Amino acid sequence: MGRLARGRGVAASWYGIARTATIDRAGAWAELDDGGTAKIVTGVTEIGEGILTVLAQIAAEELGVRPEDVTIGDNDTARSPEAAHAGATRQTYMIGNSVAIACRDARVKLDGEIASHWGVEASSLKAFNGEIWAEGTNKRMPMEEAVAICKRRGVVPVGSGSFTAHGTGLDPVDGSGAPWQAYVFGCQVAEVEVDTLTGEVQVLGMWAVHDVGRAINPRGVEGQIEGGIVQGLGQALMEDYQLKEGHTSTHGFAKYILPTALDIPQINTRLVEDPDPRSPLGAKGIGEPALVPTAPAIMNAIYDAVGVRITSLPATPEKVLAALAAKTAAERAAEPALAAE
Amino acid sequence: MSDNVSDRKLSMTVNGRKISRPMDGNYRLLDFLREELHLTGAKEGCGAGECGTCSVFVDGKLVKSCLMPTAKAEGAEIQTVEGLAPRGELTVLQRAFHKTGASQCGYCIPGMVMAATSALRANPFADIEEIKERLGGNICRCTGYTKIFEAVELARDILNGQIPATALDAESAGNSFIGNNVRRLDAPSKVSGQLKYAGDMIMPDMVHMQVLRSPHAHARIVSIDTSRAEALEGVACVVTAADVPGIDGFGVFVHDQPVMAREKVRYVGEAVAAVAAETVEIARQALSLIDVAYEPLPGLFDAEKALEPGAPVIHDYAPDNIVKHIPVRKGDVAKGFAEADLIVENTYTTQQVEHAYLEPEAGLAYVDHDGVVTVISPSQNITHHRHMLAEIIAKPINKVRFIMSPVGGGFGGKEDMIYQGMLALAAMKSGRPVRLIYSREESIATTAKRHPSIVTYKMGLTKDGRITAVTFRMLADGGAYGMSTEGVMRKAAILSLGPYDIENCTIDTIGVYTNNTPSGAFRTFGGMQAQFATESHLDICAEKLGLDPFEIRRRNMMVPGSLTHTRQRLENVSIGQVLDVAESFSRWERGAPTSRGATRNDLGGPDVRDACTLGARFREIVENKSKEVA
Repeated sequence: MGRLARGRGVAASWYGIARTATIDRAGAWAELDDGGTAKIVTGVTEIGEGILTVLAQIAAEELGVRPEDVTIGDNDTARSPEAAHAGATRQTYMIGNSVAIACRDARVKLDGEIASHWGVEASSLKAFNGEIWAEGTNKRMPMEEAVAICKRRGVVPVGSGSFTAHGTGLDPVDGSGAPWQAYVFGCQVAEVEVDTLTGEVQVLGMWAVHDVGRAINPRGVEGQIEGGIVQGLGQALMEDYQLKEGHTSTHGFAKYILPTALDIPQINTRLVEDPDPRSPLGAKGIGEPALVPTAPAIMNAIYDAVGVRITSLPATPEKVLAALAAKTAAERAAEPALAAE
Repeated sequence: MSDNVSDRKLSMTVNGRKISRPMDGNYRLLDFLREELHLTGAKEGCGAGECGTCSVFVDGKLVKSCLMPTAKAEGAEIQTVEGLAPRGELTVLQRAFHKTGASQCGYCIPGMVMAATSALRANPFADIEEIKERLGGNICRCTGYTKIFEAVELARDILNGQIPATALDAESAGNSFIGNNVRRLDAPSKVSGQLKYAGDMIMPDMVHMQVLRSPHAHARIVSIDTSRAEALEGVACVVTAADVPGIDGFGVFVHDQPVMAREKVRYVGEAVAAVAAETVEIARQALSLIDVAYEPLPGLFDAEKALEPGAPVIHDYAPDNIVKHIPVRKGDVAKGFAEADLIVENTYTTQQVEHAYLEPEAGLAYVDHDGVVTVISPSQNITHHRHMLAEIIAKPINKVRFIMSPVGGGFGGKEDMIYQGMLALAAMKSGRPVRLIYSREESIATTAKRHPSIVTYKMGLTKDGRITAVTFRMLADGGAYGMSTEGVMRKAAILSLGPYDIENCTIDTIGVYTNNTPSGAFRTFGGMQAQFATESHLDICAEKLGLDPFEIRRRNMMVPGSLTHTRQRLENVSIGQVLDVAESFSRWERGAPTSRGATRNDLGGPDVRDACTLGARFREIVENKSKEVA
């Protein structure tokens, strides 16, 4: 074995979407507003995952406007309906679906007035990208005008939505139960290079394949996967919060080591879309599942490269070197003839 | 020359405008920009020059403004992220960040934009290796850096005329906005430093909070005397557990944590008292005037020891130190192991991990004109926080208002109401808006971590790789308070054995109390610790059976109609498709995992990066020098 050894490893994973072993719920309000714009109010704010953009896309699609026309009200317990917490890979699934339902409710009000105005069936109305039209006719107008007509007829096109995910609690004795109604699956492959002199591991490539149900914003999904993988890589190779008698010695970024630009593998992503049948959008989630298989894929790749199995995270250079030394010692002990020479 | 620093004026040019201000000797350049000029695009991520969120240009040179005393900037030309483009416009690089989705939480992004701007100013033709090196002083916790690299390369190529600027425009939506890469609507405000996080917000008459924290891991509080602190000029109020009017306790599943330590402290760094004062400095000074008498108690620092008889008890309500034990039982494990041709046992451990969001905890609380106690903070769960705070301060729920400010990274770490209670109490007691911003050290040392775990695994398999039985036991250190431990144990148990159809299994996950830094919610909520064990274990078994790693997974994977470990029948199962795509997409060469790296033919393809060897940014200099020599 030369100084630098490469190898590959794979790991699979699964994950449940939204709150665990309980009923999850989220609410939203929608309004088709003046100028063909829209207001969405729901108790959610960006934690970085891109939810505001996803909600704007969903609202735009459902209402027939453009994402940039959508204003999303801030998350405020005194001003917006409950959307509960920003976690559990539930934002797109729970809030996204509640927004879709609220928008459909608002469209029922708008479409009723416009259908009556045009003398067509409401079911023939379609709207997209700031225009509304009646299929099979030449009737078409900007959403701005449609909202104005609706309001002149005395109706404000507002809607509300509540979405429920039906999880059940676990039996306290045998753990049986149906904790989620939607599951996602994933698989990642890692390619690593191990420096057998220093023990340092570089992850050169990752292939990530994840079922997300339906990708509302594929680039955003990729971003979640890339971020998840790098957090997983950090836990796999370097991050280690140290305590001694309750006192930490890793209280700054000089001691608590995080992945930086130089640690990043090329990340190759493929999305699988197996739509969720129990929700209007079919989308599931990706926030947490993205990092589940990363560390084991890297550990399996280290084993492939140098034949040492790290079972205690993180695989720091010191730990890899110690494992390599132990392996060499064991091999020598197993070959008495060679050792005698 | 006057010794009084407040008599001195400081002059510099900031974003093209000459400014002159009285000098505060305590200010670093970062404080001066943020507090004096209200240019909050530069953020404080660590205060130690390690994360780069505070990067600005000083006389054209990229500088970490948290390390620069303000006086050193006298007469300098400063450029901040707000000054890169005229107001309302974005530079090509900022637009490239927008286009590629390079910003997520956005907190590191102003600094990242500055570093990337500096990189392309230093070398407009920098290749990816050089770009990575030049961004090496900036930490991002959300994006995995990949879209940031893409943005910098895109901007470089546009600026060099190799790609038309139309590459920055929105993609056509076609006939649907679903499945379309709509550019993030929040990105312009993030790449330009305009977005206000909680720590960037100010209110008239606002006072500043600092927190007194426990130096002991486990100790009884004999007395707390705040009188000297309260007497200090500039102190608005001091709050302790004695100021809680209602039921003092919060937590995600069990409300075992007081707003501030009550009767005893259970971990190093636990909040004991908090001061609100006119300035941060006065608040810090007041902390040193609070007298707390402790009576140290025996500490408990090891999860295994927590279960031993006679171990110190951390919470009276849990004399066995168990936060939660989740059992899952399916089939007949003894029968399953009897049917096995191979039984493999092993132990796996994971460490405590810090969320390390770039935005340290911060919040602003006030009581409004209607008496509504309002807390603005990057809370990941305002709905639940509202319920808990209403009980703690004994008010009807509509007299408590939580506003979720933009979250500069959460990952589960901002689900716990660890400081909002102190802020609310101080706002109520002082009648003034109160702001608290954690230091990085405070954030790392006192907030929840990913649960460290020990998993003991026993798996039985047939010769052809079918799993016949598993026993799985996870012991996790929950630290001093319950927080999310119950939920983490539940999720770890449910997901533990992975997407495999296993007839017989016994699963136990146990979370215990210790006097370590509490463990809490962290992206995957126990799922990664458990599946790290399962996925490592499967490869060990595959090697012993001579099976390809994909193959052993396929032979056991769930299919539509499978029963999960908790006996839920699944209708939709995509793992088979996911494995097939992963195998072909990664160009996987089949074979048993026998550490065969040296003989593989699928390594080093076009879809991996080069191994990193430092020095790319000096390559040109070295090449030029060697030309000179030649």
